[in-house]
Amino acid sequence: MILVCGGLADRVTELVCARLQHCGYPYRLLDLARYPAGYRVAWRWTDAGPAGTIAGPDWALDLDALTGVYVRFLGPEGRLPPQGDPEAAAALQFEADAGLVALLENLPCPVVNRIGGGMSNNSKPFQALLLRRAGLKVPTTLVTSDPAAARAFHAEYGEVIYKSASGIRSIVRRLGPAQQARLAFLRHGPAQFQAFVPGRNVRVHTVGDAVFATRIETEAVDYRYAHLDGLNVAMTAVTLPAAVKAACLRAARDLDLLFAGIDLKETPDGEYVCFEVNPCPGFIYYERHTGQQISAALADLLNGTAPAAWRATRQATN
Amino acid sequence: MHLLLGHSGDSCCTGVLARLAARGLPARIVASPLAPPACVAWRLADDGLTSRLDLGDDPAEIAGVLVRGTAWFDPAGWAPGDHAYMQAEMLAATLAWLAGLPCPVINRPSAALWYGGRASLLTWRPLLRRCGLPVPEQLITNDPAEARAFRRRLVADGVAGAVYAPLTGEARYLVATDAAWEGLADLQERSPVCLSEPHGAAHPACIVGGKIVWDDEAPPESRALAPRLRQLAAATRLDFLEVVIARLRRGLGVVMVEPMPVLEHFTAPARARILDALTALLAPFAAEPEALR
Repeated sequence: MILVCGGLADRVTELVCARLQHCGYPYRLLDLARYPAGYRVAWRWTDAGPAGTIAGPDWALDLDALTGVYVRFLGPEGRLPPQGDPEAAAALQFEADAGLVALLENLPCPVVNRIGGGMSNNSKPFQALLLRRAGLKVPTTLVTSDPAAARAFHAEYGEVIYKSASGIRSIVRRLGPAQQARLAFLRHGPAQFQAFVPGRNVRVHTVGDAVFATRIETEAVDYRYAHLDGLNVAMTAVTLPAAVKAACLRAARDLDLLFAGIDLKETPDGEYVCFEVNPCPGFIYYERHTGQQISAALADLLNGTAPAAWRATRQATN
Repeated sequence: MHLLLGHSGDSCCTGVLARLAARGLPARIVASPLAPPACVAWRLADDGLTSRLDLGDDPAEIAGVLVRGTAWFDPAGWAPGDHAYMQAEMLAATLAWLAGLPCPVINRPSAALWYGGRASLLTWRPLLRRCGLPVPEQLITNDPAEARAFRRRLVADGVAGAVYAPLTGEARYLVATDAAWEGLADLQERSPVCLSEPHGAAHPACIVGGKIVWDDEAPPESRALAPRLRQLAAATRLDFLEVVIARLRRGLGVVMVEPMPVLEHFTAPARARILDALTALLAPFAAEPEALR
């Protein structure tokens, strides 16, 4: 039995549920828009791992029966409005979520993804160190509060982008004349600069040991926001060089991510440069554009089914 | 120059600062090493990582860092949204800076440690179990019947109550009377609660490098856990770790793991031993001052 923790209004969770349904894999949805309301939980830790049950409106499942968990937490906007005192309700919601996180950290089955694995995404330069250690090439990066260092970096590379070092306001922009004129403000705190890497964006999704790579072609600096500038995006499924594929898998494993979205750029010289790893990838965009079976591989992983076996089952079902 | 990253009132920082000074080693306490007026340049390129930190008044190279806190960014003069952004940026940059330092860093944080906040015992359980360290029975439930069953199990073992320990706070409440259990049931209507079996007197142990500093009042049999505690410290990749040991229903067990040890949990002689060990770890080649020999 698979447990999906998320909100049905979330398109990614909805797709995961639909894929599990289509594969014929049994699952239960723990609706995080409502949780804990409407659910009964009893999780007991003795000397071994957790044991117990989760019961929903018309179902109950034993933790021992779980083959995998998919979790996608919701922001406050995805939750039902709190009842009673908002401050107390928020504290109780926080406590309920903390209990669920503790359970997920302790479960022996695959959990996509455990929360600790995603923490490095809060510091892009820190994550870059881990990616480099995994064998991926990363862009030349400067984190500085020294305006002179930033100017020298710009002079050295000519074309430079800047983006947040944290996960907040994470939009990539070119360092143009207007921004250069404001470099003195760096004295208030460091910012992150990177040598611009020319080439085509490649998004890689790793699902367990499976790798799906998508090439993205657009004129936009940050293809995720191409529509804001009225620019088009074209996507194609591609095969990565073996060494890059292996490094992507190593990076996901090092970060303890069973499912990861890895942003690469393929340079005109044929090199692959890695920008970051997303621990909670919204993969629908790529699956719909390319027909890659990302959600099917995820379903297999959660069900504990080998991909080959899944294909045979699907053929039989069809 | 040694940097002690933490609050100026932190007793670990002040104690290590005094010991480093006694050895004639320059050191300073900073709450946020990359905040103004500091000037940082951290550069990662194909040929490696370089980093430079100018603290404004002392250009000396950094010889070691003790991490006792995260980088707090002064909110003065910032709109709340911008301050939250700058705080996140400062945390992100400081984590990367610490990760890339070639000198000894105690405790060099992982992202999970840096951003995870205070982890409950439940979070540490898989690691504790792997190291063979016993832990108390715990239960998370919003089902009053399950809570009552837990109470009955404890009573059967001669224990009168359970400890209600919210995962998101540090308060602990003994639930022992019928009225308290009823109050707990009311709370369970709103959220699952975390219950633990009660434990006896708590005795902290501090792991500094490979050395274990026991609190002076720790029961002698707790020392049998030493190899497992060292194994735990190695698994966490932390040089400085506090573990609290207490008697449970079925023997001694770990009731708390603290990656930011609290010196005040220890008796005065144990505190001194911890600070000595920390200083030796931070400045291994510094001669002890004559007065201490």
